[in-house]
Amino acid sequence: MTGKIKVKSMNNDNLKMFMGKYGIGLVLLLMMVVIGIMEPTFATSKNFMNVATQVAINGMISYGMCLAITTGGIDLAVGAQLALTSCVLGVTITNSGMNVWTACGVALMVATFFGFLNGFLIAKFNMFPFVVTLSTQLIIRGLSQVISGGKAISLTSEAFKGIYSNKFLGLPIPIVILIVISIIMYLLLHWTKFGRYIFAVGGNVNAAIASGVSEFWTKVGVYTVSGFLAGVAAIIFTAKTGSAQSNIGVGYETDAVAACVLGGTSFAGGIATVPGVLMGIFIIGFIYNGMNLIGVSSYYQSIVKGCVIIGAVLLDMVMNKRNR
Amino acid sequence: MMKKVLAITMAITMTFGLMACGSTKTETAEPAAPAETTTEETTEAETTTEDAVAEVAAGADVNGDGKVIVGYISKNLTDPFHAPINEYAEKTLNQMKSDGVIDDWTGILDGETDPNKQIDRADECITKGCDAVIVLPAESEASDPAVTKLADAGINVIVVNSKTTSTDARAIAYCGSNDVEAGKMLGEWVVKNVPDGGKYIHCTGILGNSAQIDRGAGIAEVMSAHPEFEMVGEPDTQWSGDKAANATTDAIAQYGDELVAVICDNDDMSSAAQRAANDAGRSDIICVGVDGNQNPLQMIKDGDLGATVLQDGVGQIAAAINVITALINGEEYDSAPVIPFVLITKDNVDEYLQ
Amino acid sequence: MEKNTDGKNEYILQCEGISKAFGGTQALKDVQLYVKPGEVHALMGENGAGKSTLMKIVIGLHKQDKGEIIFEGQPYQVKGPVDAINAGIAMIHQELNPEPHLSIAESIFLKREDTVGKFFLNKKKQNERAGEILKQFDFPYGPKTLIKELTLAQVQMVEIIKAVSSDARMIIMDEPTSSLDSEETDHLFRVIRELKAKGVAIIYISHRMEEIFKICDTVSVFRDGMFITSAPLSEISRDELISKMVGRKVENVFPKVDCKIGDVVFKAENLSGKGFKDINFEVRAGEILGVSGLVGSGRSETMRAIFGLDPIDGGKMYLEGKEIKNKNPRAAINKGICMVNEDRKNYGLCLLRSLRENISLPNLPQKQKGLLINQRREMKECEEVAKQLTVKAASIEHDAFSLSGGNQQKVVIAKWIMANPKLLILDEPTRGVDVGAKSEIHSLMCQFAAKGMAVIMISSELPEIMGMSDRILIYHEGTINGEVTREEILSSSATEEVILAKAFGGK
Repeated sequence: MTGKIKVKSMNNDNLKMFMGKYGIGLVLLLMMVVIGIMEPTFATSKNFMNVATQVAINGMISYGMCLAITTGGIDLAVGAQLALTSCVLGVTITNSGMNVWTACGVALMVATFFGFLNGFLIAKFNMFPFVVTLSTQLIIRGLSQVISGGKAISLTSEAFKGIYSNKFLGLPIPIVILIVISIIMYLLLHWTKFGRYIFAVGGNVNAAIASGVSEFWTKVGVYTVSGFLAGVAAIIFTAKTGSAQSNIGVGYETDAVAACVLGGTSFAGGIATVPGVLMGIFIIGFIYNGMNLIGVSSYYQSIVKGCVIIGAVLLDMVMNKRNR
Repeated sequence: MMKKVLAITMAITMTFGLMACGSTKTETAEPAAPAETTTEETTEAETTTEDAVAEVAAGADVNGDGKVIVGYISKNLTDPFHAPINEYAEKTLNQMKSDGVIDDWTGILDGETDPNKQIDRADECITKGCDAVIVLPAESEASDPAVTKLADAGINVIVVNSKTTSTDARAIAYCGSNDVEAGKMLGEWVVKNVPDGGKYIHCTGILGNSAQIDRGAGIAEVMSAHPEFEMVGEPDTQWSGDKAANATTDAIAQYGDELVAVICDNDDMSSAAQRAANDAGRSDIICVGVDGNQNPLQMIKDGDLGATVLQDGVGQIAAAINVITALINGEEYDSAPVIPFVLITKDNVDEYLQ
Repeated sequence: MEKNTDGKNEYILQCEGISKAFGGTQALKDVQLYVKPGEVHALMGENGAGKSTLMKIVIGLHKQDKGEIIFEGQPYQVKGPVDAINAGIAMIHQELNPEPHLSIAESIFLKREDTVGKFFLNKKKQNERAGEILKQFDFPYGPKTLIKELTLAQVQMVEIIKAVSSDARMIIMDEPTSSLDSEETDHLFRVIRELKAKGVAIIYISHRMEEIFKICDTVSVFRDGMFITSAPLSEISRDELISKMVGRKVENVFPKVDCKIGDVVFKAENLSGKGFKDINFEVRAGEILGVSGLVGSGRSETMRAIFGLDPIDGGKMYLEGKEIKNKNPRAAINKGICMVNEDRKNYGLCLLRSLRENISLPNLPQKQKGLLINQRREMKECEEVAKQLTVKAASIEHDAFSLSGGNQQKVVIAKWIMANPKLLILDEPTRGVDVGAKSEIHSLMCQFAAKGMAVIMISSELPEIMGMSDRILIYHEGTINGEVTREEILSSSATEEVILAKAFGGK
């Protein structure tokens, strides 16, 4: 009798473990199959390439957001970071005629600095990340309006626009960037000391401190990385549109948070995986792309998006019930 | 446990399915029988009049897949100026589809007022095999890659409402109005109604938008010829009625009776500004803007607002669809139809109020 | 079963043939429990024996798969704790979790507020009623005092008052003394005796043997989800009870081995900080230094400051003769000072992460290969140390959450053992840990000492500290008020009474 129960429970447990780990992947797969059946043009390599290129921007932001959420915080300044970096690129390349690569370096430094500033304010004064990034977001966007004079700055440099349109080994550069950053993020979160400290600070900050982890440097590091990634996103964005503007990136944190949540990042902190977030990023991308190809009226699209996110989170909670 | 998981997965799939069904239903709102005859008709047409088919292929079916598919990239779905445009496009294109004039269209793609998203939507139009795409750009510079991308894919692009940088070079047609004209009309209305002149403020749209730049130029052109007027502020009100109302109350507090007019880049702002002025007991202040949205029209009818300058968005999109029809029929078309602005006052408001 | 024939009304609570499974784990197998009115009934067993599960069924947090509960002669079935309170059964939880911003009155009348009409609270009436009840219990605070201003013991008392005021005929207390010092414990016992005199039945769950024999009338023992025995405490000896609980005979309660005591490892000189002043002591290699005293006497505060968790205001510390300063725990860990905190939930583990990540967390700098962690080496070393400390888990990749309290504590110790410290500080290492794991932790401490580590152990349990220490420092109000040696204990010249007297400020 007991033997039987044990066998059954083992299977159940393994299945739960499996679903807990790969449940979101199944959702992604199911989505792709359903859309593919409804609209054959969806399942073409060209379309997948398109989606992968499209999600690169949200991908960068989502990884940064994922780190912030994992430490129990949030980074609402990413959209404004996008605008500021874009304007820095416009001013340096078009107005000052700086070399494209030097300009990218400067822009990334600016983005990284403001990420650092976010982290410093949050960690040093123990302020709520929500409040800090909500405020710095205004400052950063204001700064981008100041340096651009509120006007669009056009970027005509073909070398710069090539960051979006050129190919490397047959892959558009944004996809290459997405792959490289995904690998770096995977190693960073799962294979380095810093990554472990992020999980520890998010999971139980007191225990982390009592284990010799510096809460300050972990948080500063997280927001700095988030700022840097927003900068990378801004470079792709600006190369894509060929124009630097201070009004871009409004509401981009929403899709980033959605991708993180879909990818199993816990808002309570301490839980996240990079493959999960990557799948979340693609789910968000496929929702837009798939529904447009099927011809779902745009009026319904945000409803569907909301339902999918809630559904996926419910799914995740059911899977991980044994943990809570 | 498993059951729950299944249930949720099912729910997600069903949401998808339902949405898709919902959309196909609206598209084929006509009874099923005529839809069938439509396909018969087209096959008939293809077999009988070969010349006509050849023409169609040359003019409209650019990718040669035997289907004419139209794309529609909106600026957004939320702005009251764009709502009737989208509505007209949806109605007309659905009708054209059920009449068999076109084989399919993408539905209204949401540009979210974001050039990045508009470029992504252009990718989807290419994937979907569109032959002609209507684009309502969010930005003159940043949305341009959407136009060039489509043009590079050999698709006929028709730009509506505002130009992007390479519209003249790459699009087959631009259907819009001259925003400088609208700005002039605003200025002239103020000059006419306040003969003695005075102080005024100019509530701007989002800086950098072509409509903001051109309308501002038109306003400046007229007002600079009238030294009795003095501009005392140019608040960055970002197309937002709420911000314009705040700017107006601030200006009233600051300049009192000297403030005579509030010129706004759109009439969401001018109607909100007028309402704020009226609430402050200053219904004498002349507020005027561009667009012809329903709310300001209602205010004109009620006597709360003097005038507004209507940008005939529906006229613009109708012109764009005419270009597509002409392409299909192999007829000539005007590649740059200018749709005039209309000054709306109490006298003619009923024609435009729905 | 024969007891049942004595007459139905003899028992206030009868649980018969209760079974409960979670997934595939059988938490309870056909257990029984009979409680008489006006008795204090102890529930004993190791963690995971099924006591908590049975109590959760009684208050309606779980539903039994099989079996019947009769309360006051009626079949009893409740939907949750609120329902249970209405039926007359209240539970005081191990981890008290009242809303800190409520007043005492609001807390007492939570979920059964006095209202005017349907929605509006009648605060005045509520405060008056609460005031009367508090007076009956000689509670030193008024009804408007906020819960957050009270000590843990007082909060617990409020919970008890709340239970009694809602006309509970049975109160379940889960480890009620785990955060109380001896004075507070005595007060609790007085209250329990008063309740008993009123005919209230009390189910008392505790790991502390002394308390059980002091306050309880009857004991029911559980092991591995099964009911083992029930007997009046007057008829059962302490050793019998332990052997029933662990299923084997425990020969020596404290496995203290005398080790070779070496050089001074750590020395504190006139150390002062928040909650302690002018602390002087030294601890040698191979020595287990016990630290005793009341809760709040400055013993934990001193150790936290030495470990770098709290600032030090004055004085000097020496490690192996060299003066050191610990700005934060990292500095302490790097020098070889590690500390197992008393608050395991807050300072011990990241419960949602795996055992491997928890164990290696403080030791990551040693596990790096270039920029990355050498995961293979990490896994191997974590497995070794987990095995050495007999952590019972299916795999080190499991969440720490899934482990029992005792095993979680072993994981906390494991992470410090991996750091190979010179000085290991253990603050209440066996609190909330079952008997089996407790004695395992004790043997581990001896092993560490034998390897030449200096060990400091803080404990509120006098038998534990007397059984395990080579030397005992006794704190009183922030200073060290005496010291006893193992020789004095063995020669019975230092008894529990002597140590307690010093802890209360006597000489």
